[in-house]
Amino acid sequence: MSNNILEVKNLKTYFFTGRGVVKAVDDISFSLRKGENLCLVGESGCGKTATALSILRLIDSPPGRIVNGEILYHGEDLLPSSSARLRQIRGNRIAMIFQDPQSSLNPVFTVGDQIAEQIKLHLGLKHKQAMERTLHLMEQVGIPRARDRMKDYPHQFSGGMKQRVMIAATLSCDPEILIADEPTTALDTTIKAQILDIFRDLKQKRNMSILFITHDLGTVAGIADRIVVMYGGRMAEAGTALDIFDHPQHPYTQGLISCLPDISTRRDRLTPIPGMIPSLINPPEGCIFDPRCERRIPICGREKPPEIVISGEHLVACHLYSQAASPEDRIEGSQNAK
Amino acid sequence: MIKQISSKVGGLKNLIFIGTLLVLVLVLLLDIYLVDQILEPLEYFYLFFAIAAIFYGIYPLYANRRLTKYYWERIKRHRLSVFGLAFIVFLIAVALIGPLLTQDPTEVNFQEKNLPPVGLTIQQSVYDLKAEEFVTQETPGTWQHPLGTDDKGRDMLAMLVSGARVSLQVGLLATLIAILIGTIMGVVSAYLGGWVDMALMRFTDVMMTFPFFLLLVFIIFIFGPSLAFIILAIGLTGWTGTARLVRSDALSLRTREFIMASKSLGASDTRIVLRHLVPNVISSVIVIATLSIPGVILAEAALSFIGLGDPTVTSWGVVLNAGQRSLDTAWWVAVEPGIMLFLTVLAFNFLGDGIRDAFDPRSQL
Repeated sequence: MSNNILEVKNLKTYFFTGRGVVKAVDDISFSLRKGENLCLVGESGCGKTATALSILRLIDSPPGRIVNGEILYHGEDLLPSSSARLRQIRGNRIAMIFQDPQSSLNPVFTVGDQIAEQIKLHLGLKHKQAMERTLHLMEQVGIPRARDRMKDYPHQFSGGMKQRVMIAATLSCDPEILIADEPTTALDTTIKAQILDIFRDLKQKRNMSILFITHDLGTVAGIADRIVVMYGGRMAEAGTALDIFDHPQHPYTQGLISCLPDISTRRDRLTPIPGMIPSLINPPEGCIFDPRCERRIPICGREKPPEIVISGEHLVACHLYSQAASPEDRIEGSQNAK
Repeated sequence: MIKQISSKVGGLKNLIFIGTLLVLVLVLLLDIYLVDQILEPLEYFYLFFAIAAIFYGIYPLYANRRLTKYYWERIKRHRLSVFGLAFIVFLIAVALIGPLLTQDPTEVNFQEKNLPPVGLTIQQSVYDLKAEEFVTQETPGTWQHPLGTDDKGRDMLAMLVSGARVSLQVGLLATLIAILIGTIMGVVSAYLGGWVDMALMRFTDVMMTFPFFLLLVFIIFIFGPSLAFIILAIGLTGWTGTARLVRSDALSLRTREFIMASKSLGASDTRIVLRHLVPNVISSVIVIATLSIPGVILAEAALSFIGLGDPTVTSWGVVLNAGQRSLDTAWWVAVEPGIMLFLTVLAFNFLGDGIRDAFDPRSQL
C-alpha cells in the first residue's frame, strides 16, 4: 500500500457527444508503485489515452468528463484538486510524453527555450542555471552536440531526436511519475529501440515510476514489470509481465499474444482476432468482448464479468473463471474452446 | 521578486516593455494635469507605437539574425515587394525628416498661385494691375516650388510631405489598434471556446455587418474631426477581419499536441495563450496587417476628401479635394497626391504579398 504512489480507483471518463455517451474509460482500477514500469496495453480506441489524460485531468471538457472514481497521488485525490494545485503537479511530479513528437513541440521557439521554460516555471531557477540544466538533460537523453542543438528549432530535428527533446522536457523537474502515451509509435524500429533504452535507464537510474501506454505487445515485453490489458474502456486482464505472457487467461489476451509474430516458430500467417472493436456509444450488454470472443458462454451476453483473482496479482475479468457462471455455461465454454 | 514578475509576463523583455509603457502613461498624465502640454496626446500615441516597434519588431530581428536573413532572402525573391519596401522606407524617411526641410504647407501666397511643376509651362490668365484687365501669361514652373502650387499658392511639395506623414500615422496606428484588438479577440475566442467564443464571434459578426464608413462618419460627427479620433475610429472598427483569421488559426493550433504537452507540463491558460498561441499566429497577423494598411490609408483619404478629415492637418485627401476644384486650370494639384496614394497603396500591397509568400511554408519561392 505504502509502495503505491499512484492509485486509480473505479475511474470512469465519459464523452458526452451529440450521438450519445462514449464510455471511453469505464471502471478502470490499477496502481503504480515506486520504480515500476506499468504498461497499459490495448487496441486503438480502447481508452488508454483517455485514462492517461484523466490522471492529469487533461480531458477536454466539454465534451469529456470524469464522472466517477478516484486518482490518488500519494493518497491525495487529484479529482477535486484546484487548477493551481494541478499545475504544480503537472510536469513537476507527474509528467507526460505524447505520441507524436512532430507536433508536441512549439515550432516558434528553440528547443532549449522550451525545456528551460519548464525548469524556470517549476523550479524557479535563473535563466543561466536553467540553460545549464537543459544542456545536461539533453546530453542525458543522448542528443549529440547538445550545446549547439539547444539553439535549434524543432523543425531542424528528426522525429527520434524530437522525442528525445520531449523526454528531456518531461524529465526537467525530475518527476516521480512519467506517463508515456505511445512514445514510440511514430518512430521507426531502430529509433524505437533507442528510446526504449532511455526508458529502461530512467527506471533503473532514477527509480522513476513509468506508466507506459502502447498498443504493441512487442514493445511491452522488453520493459514492463506489470501489464494491464484494456479492452473497450474496461480492464480485461492485469498481472505481472510473466503472468500475462506465459499464462494469459482472458480470451482477448490470448488472442493478442497469438497474433504476435514469432521468429522461432515458422508461421506463414498471423492469427487475427475476428471482428471489430465495438462502438463505445452503445456497448454490448454484459462482457464487452462477447461479440468477438471464441469461448463465449451464455452468461457473457447478460452480465458484466467480475474481476477474478487468478493468483497473487493476476486479475482477469472473464466469466470463464467465475463461480457465478453456471455449470452448463462452463461446459459450453470449454466445448467452444475446442 | 523581479524574476517572479518577469516570468509571469513571459520574460524580462516584456517586463521592460510594460515598465516603459507605464512611465510613458505617467508622463502623459503629468503632462496633461501639471505641466503645459509638452507633446500632443497623439504624439504619445506615436511614441507608444515606436516603443512597441522597437521591442517587438527591431529587437527580435536583431537578436535573431539568422531568421531575419532567412526571411530577407525569401522576401528578396519577390522583386516587387523589395520595391514596395524601398518605397515605404523612403516614405517613412520623408515623413520623419521632410517637414523640417520644406516650407509650411498651410502658407498661402496668391502671387504664386497655380504654378506648374518645374519644367512645365502653362498659359494662365492673370489680372494685370497696370492694364486693369485679364491677360494671358506664360507661367513657368520654378525651382522654389518643384512640384508647383495650388490655387491658393500653397507649395505642393510641402503639402505632399505633410500628407505622407498623416497617411503613415493613420495607416500604422489604426492598423496597430485593429490588429491588437483582433488578435486578442481571435485568440481568446478560439482558446476558451464555448459560450465565450459564441459571444465574441457574434459580436464580430455584428461589427462586420455594420456599414463601416457610415459608422466612421457617425463617430467623427459625435467626437469631432480630430486626427486622433479618426485613427481610433478606424482602429476600433477595422479589427473584425483579423479576429476571424486569428481565431481560425488559433482553433487549428489549439488541437496541436504541443498545447496539450505544455498543459501536461503544468502551463497555465495565460501562459499557453501568450507563449504558444500568440507567437504562432503572429505570422498571419503581420501579413493581414501589411495588407490592411492601404485600406486604412484610403479610408482616411476618403474621409478628408469628403471634408470629414481633421481640418488642421494637410492630408492627401484634403489636397485631392482642393485639386478637383481646379482640375481644368491646374491638373497637377489633384494628380500629384493621387499618384502618391496610388504608389503608397501599391507599395504596401506588394510588401504584404512578399511577406505572405515568405511566411507561407507551402509556397516554393
